[in-house]
Amino acid sequence: MTKHTIDDGTIEACQRGDSEAFRLVFEAYKDRVYSIGLCFFDGNEAAAKDITQEVFLKLMTTISQFQNRSEFSTWLYRLVTNACLDRKRALRRFLFFTDSRELELPDPRRSTEDRYIQREIEHSVRKVIAGMKPKLRMAVLLKYFEDLSYDEIAAALACSKGTVASRLNRAHRILARKLGHLRSALAAGE
Amino acid sequence: MFENHVIRHLSAYHHGEIPPDEAVRIEAHLRTCERCRSANEQVQLGARLASALSVSKAPADMWIGVNRAHPVSSRRRWRVVLASTAVAAALLFVIFIRSHAPAGSSWEVTGVPGMPRLRPGEMLQTGSTSEAQIKIANIGQLTIDRNTRIRLLVTEPDQHRIALDRGRVEATTWAPPRLFIVETPSATAVDLGCKYALEVEDDGSSLLHVTLGLVALERGSRETIVPAGAFCRTRAGTGPGTPFFEDSSTRLQSALEQVDSLAEGPERTRQLQVVLGESRVRDALSLWHLLPRLDMQSRGLIYDRLAQLLPAPPDVTRDGIIALDPKMLDAWKKIVSQLWQ
Repeated sequence: MTKHTIDDGTIEACQRGDSEAFRLVFEAYKDRVYSIGLCFFDGNEAAAKDITQEVFLKLMTTISQFQNRSEFSTWLYRLVTNACLDRKRALRRFLFFTDSRELELPDPRRSTEDRYIQREIEHSVRKVIAGMKPKLRMAVLLKYFEDLSYDEIAAALACSKGTVASRLNRAHRILARKLGHLRSALAAGE
Repeated sequence: MFENHVIRHLSAYHHGEIPPDEAVRIEAHLRTCERCRSANEQVQLGARLASALSVSKAPADMWIGVNRAHPVSSRRRWRVVLASTAVAAALLFVIFIRSHAPAGSSWEVTGVPGMPRLRPGEMLQTGSTSEAQIKIANIGQLTIDRNTRIRLLVTEPDQHRIALDRGRVEATTWAPPRLFIVETPSATAVDLGCKYALEVEDDGSSLLHVTLGLVALERGSRETIVPAGAFCRTRAGTGPGTPFFEDSSTRLQSALEQVDSLAEGPERTRQLQVVLGESRVRDALSLWHLLPRLDMQSRGLIYDRLAQLLPAPPDVTRDGIIALDPKMLDAWKKIVSQLWQ
């Protein structure tokens, strides 16, 4: 998985209010932020869109206060985490999630059958992840959408590295328990 | 031995997050411990499954929405305003009520000469050519339009509350819900994590427009949930009206206003029928909020239309909804509320 990096010059330009620089940051991260929102809210596109907009608005509003550029993505994912958890709390009374939507960005190198298998597996994985506790869910999403290290996830979730390890351990075992029947399909799709 | 089991380290081991000497110990242990080996297989399978997640493409129009609300743009506009303005400054006046202001937290104010901070108990009023920007502690930002008067009532870690006496504000917040509250003469706007504009007229009525997230309008026991893309009017004496989406038909909006303001009778029923006839699936937002506010005969009409748009769950009956059975309302709400999520 490719990690996105934004150079110091772009961040400095953002801090000066350069809208083109903001556009670069937005383009670099928007799909991943949206994907985390989409998965966190079990395929609810409107919620994912709201979260993405909220995160970038907050980022644009506060980037002038941002100091440690080496931790830009950690900071960004902390915004994402807070936005998702806050929204979940806010909507507790109202939310009723829809099924996951069709997934995008199919890998063109796969055959139609492989893509179908992959899509079915991913659909099942998303459903199981959506049923996990929010903190477990977010650790999985930060690991598998952004490939953050345990230290980076710990910073984004404001917890210890050991807690991240424990949450991912639990999440992996939940996935294996609930989707063990997909083991052979997984091998076929790989 | 039990203390040597490595189960809790297996994900870190899988992801290479374990120091080399510890990894060697785990490998050795896995060779001899069936229980940990079995757990390791589970973790490996879980990790392979999680790796099936792929990135979804964000909607193409999203940048437009972000850019439109971009605070930098407004900051630039603000610089232009500042640069052109000795005249504007003369028209701006600020009223301090400092004698009653307790010491403590305050909010940073930009654009109002002589007023760098707003403290609890103080009032801020903009003139006919001036705007102001306020940082709502560390949870958001407030833009105060021209000819607007606000008062800061409370700023505490668990609550930030202002009164909007007249004029228009735009609020953007990134705090947990129910932390930022705006009191108006006709209702209280409770932020549920969002961006919105709220305007109060001289007669105390107001208009709320939510552009991101959700806002609850409250007065007494009446609560209206206004989602992104929707408006809601409030009236002095009656509180929040019925919310409606900005893309609903003008006939629906006009009839809805009549339904909200008329007393029970044939004319209100006629206007209700216009609302029902004009309603699309999305307008279930309005119908849902009307349901508990009207008489039983009207509730029957609303049920019939709502059930066409969004069929009720099997255990929800017409009689139950007309009687406002809480369980049935709750069951149907789970379906209806998808529309504004």
